Amino acid sequence: MPVSWDTAPAGGGLGRLVACSEREPGRGAHQGSWTQSWGAMASVHESLYFNPMMTNGVVHANVFGIKDWVTPYKIAVLVLLNEMGRTGEGAVSLMERRRLNQLLLPLLQGPDITLSKLYKLIEESCPQLANSVQIRIKLMAEGELKDMEQFFDDLSDSFSGTEPEVHKTSVVGLFLRHMILAYSKLSFSQVFKLYTALQQYFQNGEKKTVEDADMELASREESERKMEKEELDVSIREEEVSCSGPLSQKQAEFFLSQQASLLKNDETKALTPASLQKELNNLLKFNPDFAEAHYLSYLNNLRVQDVFSSTHSLLHYFDRLILTGAESKSNGEEGYGRSLRYAALNLAALHCRFGHYQQAELALQEAIRIAQESNDHVCLQHCLSWLYVLGQKRSDSYVLLEHSVKKAVHFGLPYLASLGIQSLVQQRAFAGKTANKLMDALKDSDLLHWKHSLSELIDISIAQKTAIWRLYGRSTMALQQAQLLLSMNSLESVNAGVQQNNTESFAVALGHLAELHAEQGCFAAASEVLKHLKERFPPNSQHAQLWMLCDQKIQFDRAMNDGKYHLADSIVTGITALNSIEGVYRKAIVLQAQNQMSEAHKLLQKLLIHCQKIRNTEMVISVLLSVAELYWRSSSPTIALPVLLQALALSKEYRLQHLASETVLNLAFAQLILGIPEQALSLLHMAIEPILADGAVLDKGRAMFLVAKCQVASAASYEPLKKAAVLEAAIENLSEAKNYFAKVDCKEQIRDVVYFQARLYHTLGKTQERNRCAMLFRQLHQDLPFHGVPLINLL
Amino acid sequence: MAASSSVVPVAVSAAVVPALSSSGDFSNLREIKKQLLLIAGLTRERGLLHSSKWSAELAFSLPALPLSELQPPPPITEEDAQDMDAYTLAKAYFDVKEYDRAAHFLHGCNSKKAYFLYMYSRYLSGEKKKDDETVDSLGPLEKGQVKNEALRELRVELSKKHQARELDGFGLYLYGVVLRKLDLVKEAIDVFVEATHVLPLHWGAWLELCNLITDKEMLKFLSLPDTWMKEFFLAHIYTELQLIEEALQKYQNLIDVGFSKSSYIVSQIAVAYHNIRDIDKALSIFNELRKQDPYRIENMDTFSNLLYVRSMKSELSYLAHNLCEIDKYRVETCCVIGNYYSLRSQHEKAALYFQRALKLNPRYLGAWTLMGHEYMEMKNTSAAIQAYRHAIEVNKRDYRAWYGLGQTYEILKMPFYCLYYYRRAHQLRPNDSRMLVALGECYEKLNQLVEAKKCYWRAYAVGDVEKMALVKLAKLHEQLTESEQAAQCYIKYIQDIYSCGEIVEHLEESTAFRYLAQYYFKCKLWDEASACAQKCCAFNDTREEGKALLRQILQLRNQGETPSTEMPAPFFLPASLSANNTPTRRVSPLNLSSVTP
Repeated sequence: MPVSWDTAPAGGGLGRLVACSEREPGRGAHQGSWTQSWGAMASVHESLYFNPMMTNGVVHANVFGIKDWVTPYKIAVLVLLNEMGRTGEGAVSLMERRRLNQLLLPLLQGPDITLSKLYKLIEESCPQLANSVQIRIKLMAEGELKDMEQFFDDLSDSFSGTEPEVHKTSVVGLFLRHMILAYSKLSFSQVFKLYTALQQYFQNGEKKTVEDADMELASREESERKMEKEELDVSIREEEVSCSGPLSQKQAEFFLSQQASLLKNDETKALTPASLQKELNNLLKFNPDFAEAHYLSYLNNLRVQDVFSSTHSLLHYFDRLILTGAESKSNGEEGYGRSLRYAALNLAALHCRFGHYQQAELALQEAIRIAQESNDHVCLQHCLSWLYVLGQKRSDSYVLLEHSVKKAVHFGLPYLASLGIQSLVQQRAFAGKTANKLMDALKDSDLLHWKHSLSELIDISIAQKTAIWRLYGRSTMALQQAQLLLSMNSLESVNAGVQQNNTESFAVALGHLAELHAEQGCFAAASEVLKHLKERFPPNSQHAQLWMLCDQKIQFDRAMNDGKYHLADSIVTGITALNSIEGVYRKAIVLQAQNQMSEAHKLLQKLLIHCQKIRNTEMVISVLLSVAELYWRSSSPTIALPVLLQALALSKEYRLQHLASETVLNLAFAQLILGIPEQALSLLHMAIEPILADGAVLDKGRAMFLVAKCQVASAASYEPLKKAAVLEAAIENLSEAKNYFAKVDCKEQIRDVVYFQARLYHTLGKTQERNRCAMLFRQLHQDLPFHGVPLINLL
Repeated sequence: MAASSSVVPVAVSAAVVPALSSSGDFSNLREIKKQLLLIAGLTRERGLLHSSKWSAELAFSLPALPLSELQPPPPITEEDAQDMDAYTLAKAYFDVKEYDRAAHFLHGCNSKKAYFLYMYSRYLSGEKKKDDETVDSLGPLEKGQVKNEALRELRVELSKKHQARELDGFGLYLYGVVLRKLDLVKEAIDVFVEATHVLPLHWGAWLELCNLITDKEMLKFLSLPDTWMKEFFLAHIYTELQLIEEALQKYQNLIDVGFSKSSYIVSQIAVAYHNIRDIDKALSIFNELRKQDPYRIENMDTFSNLLYVRSMKSELSYLAHNLCEIDKYRVETCCVIGNYYSLRSQHEKAALYFQRALKLNPRYLGAWTLMGHEYMEMKNTSAAIQAYRHAIEVNKRDYRAWYGLGQTYEILKMPFYCLYYYRRAHQLRPNDSRMLVALGECYEKLNQLVEAKKCYWRAYAVGDVEKMALVKLAKLHEQLTESEQAAQCYIKYIQDIYSCGEIVEHLEESTAFRYLAQYYFKCKLWDEASACAQKCCAFNDTREEGKALLRQILQLRNQGETPSTEMPAPFFLPASLSANNTPTRRVSPLNLSSVTP
């Protein structure tokens, strides 16, 4: 019997088992954790949680209540308001008025914009008003200082009268009063400065609208100065590319919050690390007190894995925050202490991110101690979940997690609670809990998410379901969940109008999708998905490692299928860089395929011990299978049996259906070699259904091939007529297996199948078919290198 | 030297000062004196007051020249004569700080001197306006945006002249200053180096260079003119870079060649001693300096720091009053008064005076740090953090501020958090035991005893100032039940104390003796044990224990034969151990396991 499916290593099948078991080396915090989505969780954990600019995933700018100042832009808005008040009911149509009112709020709250932009906005909603606003600003800017003074004096009139135009407590009223107050606080020279700023603002706006005319009008002196200026610009350009000039307070805040949310949701859209850092440095140069910039700088440095600068920025931020906390009297001592606790906690997070677990633990202890001293339960909750992240390697860490979830619910922290539930589900799935319980838990936490619109947790939850279904070997369900995530509009995107978020969950789901397609032999589709991933998560972005690993694994599997072991060997290096355990495993497989049994055995034994220690059951089973294969390949199938039984027991216990059927295949094969094909056949009947339903194409092919072999072997003792019928059936099965193998380009297997078919046809006396198969075999045999393993050892 | 005396005046008129004698060659002091007098005059004419002051001070320290050797003023050129009226008027305006007015009247002047004064007045006018503007800004973000508007224009004009090679030494200096103010550090350094080549005598250019050089490596790659001025520059920059040994060496050389009377050098030496914590020497030098130059205010803040450290209340009070009489609106005066109040534990007032110093000069680094210390005393940690952060912003290399931040967080009971700050301080002062001890204490609190041991040992090895590292190390060993090492540490500690012969009360001495006595007792070295036990009896807290131990020893000795009666029983330790002492003192690299950002 041709032991064809031993010449092709189990790489194709086993490769995907481990799909869920990777961890990102860069983020070693989650060592030993098993799903990719957990990686997603932890990173979300920190980018969200302790960023004071965000709460529950929503970015809030202007937390620190910075006072309003009069700027030229504000004056323009004031003019607009004034005009709106002056034009009576009839002058502006109702539709226009509504549009104007809608426009007002963003104008009042948004950052400063240029005059021409402002005109455009007003024009879009009410052209007639835009004109009058333009005229008034022109008059004011080209007039005298007294025009501006007069304007501010008149502003307060809108409150007076029996029926005032503006209510004092309305949004507009508050804005007006703020501005009037701010204006009256200005000193003499400040007023003058404001006026010159207004003139400047006006001129800049004019320049854009009428570019050409003023060149001629400009006096000689002015053009001379302009020349000089241009010259200056040329000479200075190199070093001042990014120094596009200072931003106003609101612009700076807007910039920061925008970049921060982009970093979280869609890194590719954010500025590149270098240019973002440049912008931040610029910002800090003009206002060293703008502490949030330090925090963004910290996040930015995390992107490029720069431990030194990120620590520096983080601590600087908290040093600064402590100041603002102390300054704001409303918070008082409380706010100050609070930032201290979170400072320590953030430091722990940072060290955890860089894999300095010991440091992280020390920092965490500190945070816990301070939080306990000041009875801050919320902070303690955060600490607890971090404690879990740090203590994942320990077996009892789920106790921590359970506590954490309970407490979080008690203190009304939905985010933390469902994050805890998700981690718990992960932990439990790994510990072999039944799927229905896990899914129930996830459903419950989903309820929580939808209630609190925690959109990114919803994403994570779906990604996690994908991972869990794959773990259990249900590829259809996994596929469905991945598709669900991809075609779902997340809540946030509805709000922000962004297409989709490039969060880790998406990377995970897409990675799974690629692997699932590759399993089914749809390599074109898989590479399409990978291409898309590459675009969405460029190689230097945070989540790029996820798809890189998928890519490498798919390539590896294909190389193994093709019998190009040297190619596979070169890919192993890449895999090892991304995931060391996976790398070692693959290395062993390559060695095995190259018939270097003793090296492979050594490697596998080492890996087995390591994986047992870190409780990576999936990998343990895969390794056991490989070991068993080693045994029966070295013609000692009897030793393989106990190993296989152990693997079977484990995979049944942990409900890893895919691995279980793989083990059954192996067992059946061992029985076949041991000469009890009937037994093997009955065993196969048990396993064939799940394999055909959910298994990879390669596995399906193998299963069918094995069935055929067993059929032939058991038919040996039958009477001729029955035997012929059985052999016919076997031939049918073989062609099916051949189809499967053809899908994933397993030429060696096809060769074996063809050979087998030829023999069977020969036995049945069908010469024509036999010759066709023999011809095919010959072609394939010439193409393929011969690896020294006996083609046939039993028939 | 090649530059004979007669060449000097002629060359100067071409605005290039003659080839000076090469570095380290101070054989012709008369020549040097002439050059100094010359440059003092030139800088004075151009309104560069500080450089003028420096040169004049140095010239004053050299012996006076006879009449025959005195130089005639440099001849007036045609160009100078043309601009003479405008220059005279503008200089008068300049002197009364009417810069715009001065610039107005100098517009269009061609002579180098007038041109420099023209540009310089414009620069100063811009700076003055900038300072005034800061008060009246429109909003918090604009605060940082106030800048010298004139800088860009000046840069363009000067760079044009620079490319046409029309700038003299002073012009280059001004160009460099403008570049530095625009944060174009690299370009500024190049220009300053050029300026020192063209006009090595101008101390201002050297000083600006000092501020731009951040480490020794940078210094190595500069090609500086090989003149005697370079020696002053090197000495100065070594002091700045905390390379005190080298700096002291340079200054000593300068004194040896004849600048012994220079108050500048004397004060620099005092500062250097202050930096290496040689308090007594620094104090005596400062006292000497005060005698020579009683109305000097510069560096008196450093002096007051020293007095503060030594808690010399009356001296500090005298100094404060004296300075206050001379000029109470000087930064240094405010600092001295602040120190004075701090010593009297009137921390609010002290902080007030440091604030005043900062108002006078916001870039005055020392005051920020000192204010931080005051806030620490007042238990206002957040204000302290703010002050320290400001200090770091002004100068990232300010190890005191880093150390202060560390202390603040330590007080807030965040030992892990403060490690970062102590490490920063340690990086800046790798051989300062105080940071090492602080680091060690933090590690001890975090129960990282191995790291703590490394820190203490290193602190001892680099020369422990407070003499506490060894005791702490010993206690750590004790805790880890490494009795051998603990005993050794105690022995070294006691040897250290006795060798420096200070009468300062050391609390830990008794602990050391007690431990040693018990250690020897356990090792059955009766003679040593009884010697130590007797020492114990000299201290109040260990007297009883000592006596008890003595009794026990006596008892045991009577019972059995002493194994080591022949041994001469040295005072403390077997020779073998003390012989080990020196070689182990080598400084091993401080290889802390933790990452050091």
